Amino acid sequence: MNFEQQVIVPDPASGVEVYRQHARNWLRANLPDFMRADSLDWRAATLAESSAWEAAMHQAGLAGMTWPKAYGGHGLTLREHLAVNKEIGALPMPESVSSIGKELAGPIIMAVGDETQKQAFLPEILTMRQFWCQGFSEPDAGSDLARLRTKAVQEGEHWRINGQKIWTSGAAKAHYCLLLTRTGTVADKHRGLLMFAVPMDTPGIRVVPIKSIDGKESFAEVFFDDVIVPDSARLGAPDEGWNAAIRVLSIERATNRMYRPWRFECELRQLIAACKSDARLATTLDDGYVQRRVGDLIAEIDGLKGLVELTVERMQRGESIGARGSLTKLYWSECHQAFAGLALSLLSQVGPHSSPLARRAHQAFTNAYLFARAETIYAGTTEVQLDVIAQRVMNLPKDLT
Amino acid sequence: MSSEELRPEEFAQAADAAIADALSREEPHEMAAVLAQAGLCGVMADEADGGLGLDLAFALPIAHAAGRLQLPLPLAEQILLARALAGTPRAAALVAGERLAGIAWQGSVQVGSARLDHGPADWLLVADGDGAVLVDVSDATHEPQATLDPDHPQMWVALAGAPVLARLDAQAWRALQGSARLLLAEFANGAAEGALQAAASYLATRVQFGRPLSAKQAVRHLLARMRLVQDVSSAAIRRAMHTDEFGAPRDTRPALTGAIANAAFVIEKAIHLHGGMGFTWELPLHPALRAVRKLDAAFSGLSRATGRDFIESV
Repeated sequence: MNFEQQVIVPDPASGVEVYRQHARNWLRANLPDFMRADSLDWRAATLAESSAWEAAMHQAGLAGMTWPKAYGGHGLTLREHLAVNKEIGALPMPESVSSIGKELAGPIIMAVGDETQKQAFLPEILTMRQFWCQGFSEPDAGSDLARLRTKAVQEGEHWRINGQKIWTSGAAKAHYCLLLTRTGTVADKHRGLLMFAVPMDTPGIRVVPIKSIDGKESFAEVFFDDVIVPDSARLGAPDEGWNAAIRVLSIERATNRMYRPWRFECELRQLIAACKSDARLATTLDDGYVQRRVGDLIAEIDGLKGLVELTVERMQRGESIGARGSLTKLYWSECHQAFAGLALSLLSQVGPHSSPLARRAHQAFTNAYLFARAETIYAGTTEVQLDVIAQRVMNLPKDLT
Repeated sequence: MSSEELRPEEFAQAADAAIADALSREEPHEMAAVLAQAGLCGVMADEADGGLGLDLAFALPIAHAAGRLQLPLPLAEQILLARALAGTPRAAALVAGERLAGIAWQGSVQVGSARLDHGPADWLLVADGDGAVLVDVSDATHEPQATLDPDHPQMWVALAGAPVLARLDAQAWRALQGSARLLLAEFANGAAEGALQAAASYLATRVQFGRPLSAKQAVRHLLARMRLVQDVSSAAIRRAMHTDEFGAPRDTRPALTGAIANAAFVIEKAIHLHGGMGFTWELPLHPALRAVRKLDAAFSGLSRATGRDFIESV
């Protein structure tokens, strides 16, 4: 794949709309046809192809917008980030193969890493030369990190790590793991938590893939048996680093994947276009129930766009967004999951007699339906988000005080 | 008065006070006089007609307060018609609260009858071909449809012989509908907010099994869902207030259909969460539910029409 090498990224001073137009033009000119979910030439991109695509996006000023220039970013604001995300959402392109690096590890390293770590990791993430995985969840500690068991013991200039992580997305391809450990015992609960940047080729690390509902092996169990890392792998001090990371994560939860409502709309268009391309399916679009469901989906998508834009406005004004990321994540995941169910049902009669676009859509939306099961689980389950809204947005009392 | 001197949020407090004052009166025209005195009816009307000449953003908190405080008048419609009829004696009469004006969302001149879901009104704007006409219905035959709301029934109005007071062309009618949808969406959202506040504070103080009911996860999660959809409605309405990236007005239909559905959910659940009390006439949640369900009836079929248009656009 070849992408434009000499890209002139517009001066952000010329206005956010100019930047958005640049994103629109560049993405439409450069997105390979086989990466478009609505293309008859679609096929799953290889890791190398996805990397090349995302690196080219970064070079075109369309990734790492808000990261400082000193670390390979573009030094822009959330306004440009949002403008670009609207255009990313408008095209049916693959999800990032480095979202853990760009949306989790990168921002945390920026907040708690030392200068050497920032220089070593951040530019590499944006140029797609370094992949990360997230080592937080454990068999006994999902949402409840107080039960974390993976232990780090200091031995002179090194740390010895023992434990097990689970649901680790992209572990097989990752160069580094953002690993959460504890220095004390489980009785310490939230105290004594310590983060590391652990190279995945360190002896003692074993990755066991887990086959998921969509037939892929994109996540894994990761075992750490007497893994020795130097003190320089430590990200921040015990407690301090993790507390800073929590603050980063709450902002990240509200700002990552801002393209979701625009992608949602793009998928709805793909579904309708597929139905229109097939004589039999086209008649279902005359059905009043289907028309009403589409109307309701448009209302949900508009609401989601409103939530995302409001978050950006508030953050740009310097207001705290607190737990508001929970509202967006929860609403998107439930509406999108329901949409995937509708798509599956509308396309259920597709067969060899159907139009090529309908067959492509059947394949794409069946996978989307299966993958959507994860949407109400990952990044804080529905129940966790509801708890957060009740506790932190509504301050509902739990006792008589 | 210019928008630079005032901010919509500051206007909200004045709107609250005036609506609360109006609610202490019995007769609709007396209520309207109080609202007019406070400048609410003419918030968007031309200064030459006695209005304040402010934009839609200033009418939004008024519509919200009307919903939250359950004002049984078509205040949003009054505000918009006082603006749309600028330069006519009709506008001045609406600004002054001398007459009440509503909009019929079902029926038309061609059908010969129209339904007023959000009344009462002396004057009624009715669809007429591509445009709309304002007719004086004070002497027209009204057939109340009181099943949903006996206190403030929906009204089928016979249009034959009703004097035509003014006419809006297709463009003006379209613009008025766009603005009306947003104000009525905010009215529904205000009604939902009132119900949610009532439910949240009741459940935080109602003690069973030694703890407030708000300690129960089932209750907390339901309240959180109610808050979620209420925030979604607010965000959608505020977004639809602005033009899109290319300067074109946004479709306001999704914000309205979403707000009505979300408000109905919130109020129904608020009634449920109040237990037996929620089912009583005494607790003022049922008027909110009736008001929102009347809006739902008024805009019946709107979501389907939005969906059909979207399908056609692909």
